[in-house]
Amino acid sequence: MMRLPWFSYRSPATIAEAASILAGEGPSVMIVAGGTDLFPNMKRKQQVPKTLVSLRKVQGLKRIANGTGLTLGGALTLSDVVAAEPVRSGYRALWQAAAQVATPHLRNMGTPGGNLCLDTRCTYYNQNFEWRQAIDFCMKKDGKICWVATKSRLCLAVSSTDTASALIALGAKVRLVSSRGEREVALADLYRNDGMDYLTLKSDEILTDVMLPAASGWQSSYWKLRRRGSFYFPVLGVAAAVRLGADGVVEDARIVLGACAPRPIVTKAGELLIGKHLTDEVIAEIGAKAASQAKPTDNTDLDLYWRKDVVANFVGYALREVRGDDMRTERMRIARQSLQAVG
Amino acid sequence: MKIGTIGLAECIRQVVERSNWKARHKKLPYGRGVGIACNSYLCGAGLPIYWNKMPHAGVQLLVDRSGQVTVFCGATEIGQGSDDVLVAIVAEVLGIEPFDVRCVTGDTGITPVDLGSYSSRVTVMMGNAAIQAAERIRDQIAEAASAQIGVRPDLLVFLQGRVFFSEDPSRSLTFREAIGFAEEKFGTLWSVGSYVPLRAPGRYKGAGVGPSPAYSYTACVVEVEVDPATGWITVPKIWIAHDIGQAINPVLVRGQVEGSVYMGLSEALMEEQSFRRLPANMSNALVHKIPSLLEYKSPTTLDMPDIDTVLVEDPDQNCPFGAKEVGQGPLLPVMPALANAIFDAIGVRIDEVPITPDKILRALERKAKGQTPRVGPEHFPDVPYPEPIFVPTPGEGGDGNAAKEGPVRVPGRKREVAQS
Ligand SMILES: Cc1cc2nc3c(=O)[nH]c(=O)nc-3n(C[C@H](O)[C@H](O)[C@H](O)COP(=O)(O)OP(=O)(O)OC[C@H]3O[C@@H](n4cnc5c(N)ncnc54)[C@H](O)[C@@H]3O)c2cc1C
Ligand code: SF4
Repeated sequence: MMRLPWFSYRSPATIAEAASILAGEGPSVMIVAGGTDLFPNMKRKQQVPKTLVSLRKVQGLKRIANGTGLTLGGALTLSDVVAAEPVRSGYRALWQAAAQVATPHLRNMGTPGGNLCLDTRCTYYNQNFEWRQAIDFCMKKDGKICWVATKSRLCLAVSSTDTASALIALGAKVRLVSSRGEREVALADLYRNDGMDYLTLKSDEILTDVMLPAASGWQSSYWKLRRRGSFYFPVLGVAAAVRLGADGVVEDARIVLGACAPRPIVTKAGELLIGKHLTDEVIAEIGAKAASQAKPTDNTDLDLYWRKDVVANFVGYALREVRGDDMRTERMRIARQSLQAVG
Repeated sequence: MKIGTIGLAECIRQVVERSNWKARHKKLPYGRGVGIACNSYLCGAGLPIYWNKMPHAGVQLLVDRSGQVTVFCGATEIGQGSDDVLVAIVAEVLGIEPFDVRCVTGDTGITPVDLGSYSSRVTVMMGNAAIQAAERIRDQIAEAASAQIGVRPDLLVFLQGRVFFSEDPSRSLTFREAIGFAEEKFGTLWSVGSYVPLRAPGRYKGAGVGPSPAYSYTACVVEVEVDPATGWITVPKIWIAHDIGQAINPVLVRGQVEGSVYMGLSEALMEEQSFRRLPANMSNALVHKIPSLLEYKSPTTLDMPDIDTVLVEDPDQNCPFGAKEVGQGPLLPVMPALANAIFDAIGVRIDEVPITPDKILRALERKAKGQTPRVGPEHFPDVPYPEPIFVPTPGEGGDGNAAKEGPVRVPGRKREVAQS
């Protein structure tokens, strides 16, 4: 049985108090929100913080505010996000992504903050301590080389968050607060292309809010690939958000790929859509373009080359849903559920 | 040794009819298909895993004036329902409610030996031992009761908690009263039963593998949808019919059949042992690619298709009340039926499990290039096979011994190349 290592647990009531604990403790402190990622990692000794600062009781991290856009508190549960009417009606890609995270139990605990900061994943890394010790560890933790690409100086562990690609496609920003002040960054800029050092977030910063621009005119969609219908991370996530003009011409578009690299990939395919109609030919062309940017590696589930092969198909599903096609049969086949029952 | 009953034909008829096979096989549009497969499975091995002549299963019964019966057996309840089978058999023989039977199993300190929950042997072997023990105690009780009721013991019926004259039910005792008289007559009441399978007639090396007191049969139809663009596989429905001989508890039997479908489908589509070698200039170690249960995937409720389950009952005289196994047999046809359904849907053969979308695409590519449209092992495993042994069937004048000379000598150690 894997046990949690010892740690001290702090449970502040305000953001300011949490920020000052984080600042005082230095790099051996970590934030815990739902703990659904961090606690399993601690049991496997992948992450070994001495102190945990819990966000559970912190005031002001659980709000849902409707203004020109939508603001979601970093410590809401994912179940809250799925149940929020403005998310369902205005930000379909986010709703579809959040509804497919893990399992209902984990969504009742997991948070948007934790999901966006989720540790990157790799089949050489997400193993217990003894297994990793037996292969002499890897660069991401305790070791010297990368077993996936032995010459690589970057870690290729995969960004496995569902909501990040959806939120980036939807143009989200995040607010980061520390005792030094606060800053807002475009969500895409929260990520780095290195599985070891995958966030630009500093160790003393708290992700307090996710801010979405107004949804009017935008249509969005998220498609997730995994071997079964529940209880697993994406091995490919495709999010598309498109603003269509009255004549059906694409005015703006973003297509983001998840679980293809250490960070979500904002593809160039989105820009290429601008000024075009979403015809079958255009969709096929854009899918192929997006697929050329996917760089799957052999450290997740399912065949690596096949995962690249189907990127174009998944982009196609997303764009057809954006176009207004009835995708219920496809959704049932791919997701193994209609998603309607989740919310 | 003789095979008792074979309910396979009825199993096939059931699934063919219920799945509307004839109207659908080879007739569904490209990308959709149905496949069928059948199997037979043993109900326990004729030879014990411990090589001796002692019983494979033992049961002990204790009966007292309270009217309660306690049954002891080493059989291990691992969720398959063997306790339920044991209680039901004893209750049936003694004509009492299952609630009046206490069950003590799996404790090697106080129960007679049962060889274990493997090889789908428990119902047949433990069940036959339980019948013997229960009939022995029933005979004692009947002897004591016959003096009270005034009829011959063999004319007494044990039913619904009473012991009565078959031709005049009003001449009766309650089961508890009857036990009281039996205790007066014989002292403390107990009995034992045990079971040893018949010896198989085979007298050659390897003859012990396969012979069984009875065989179960299953037929299965799987429906599949394959997307030729991605290779993505969907299984909307499975029909399955299992020859159980006699269902002792139909709800549990169905549970076992459906659990088997689950495991078979999991094996067919998901479960995988894959290894990879770490770089040669480093450790060169062979490591498991998916060493934890999070990655070793099996279906969730969302992945399970509808299952149409039929139980075919053709009681087998070698089995307790005719009941055969349902532990392992029904999972076997699921994998080949799925592979056959895929062939029906898109005309390619995937000859290994798991059947995954990448293999489908690879096979379709081969087909498009005019190569053999299959993915799977290229040849039989390169192991040194021993010389084959030829055993003539009874029809060929065989007596269970190996023939001195086989009809054809096939050279051993030859790698047979599958068509590719
Ligand atoms: C079996 C299983 C399946 C899963 N499947 C999926 C899946 O399909 N898709 C998916 O996306 N995820 C999946 N997850 C991962 C996880 O459950 C979710 O990502 C969840 O949203 C994480 O949120 P949390 O609040 O529990 O994070 P925690 O475990 O509390 O934290 C995760 C990380 O984020 C940091 N953090 C948390 N909140 C903040 C904040 N407000 N500011 C700054 N840093 C913060 C923590 O320090 C930690 O590094 C799965 C997990 C398990 C165990
Ligand atoms: S990609 Fe390489 S360095 Fe990163 S976790 Fe995997 S094996 Fe370790």
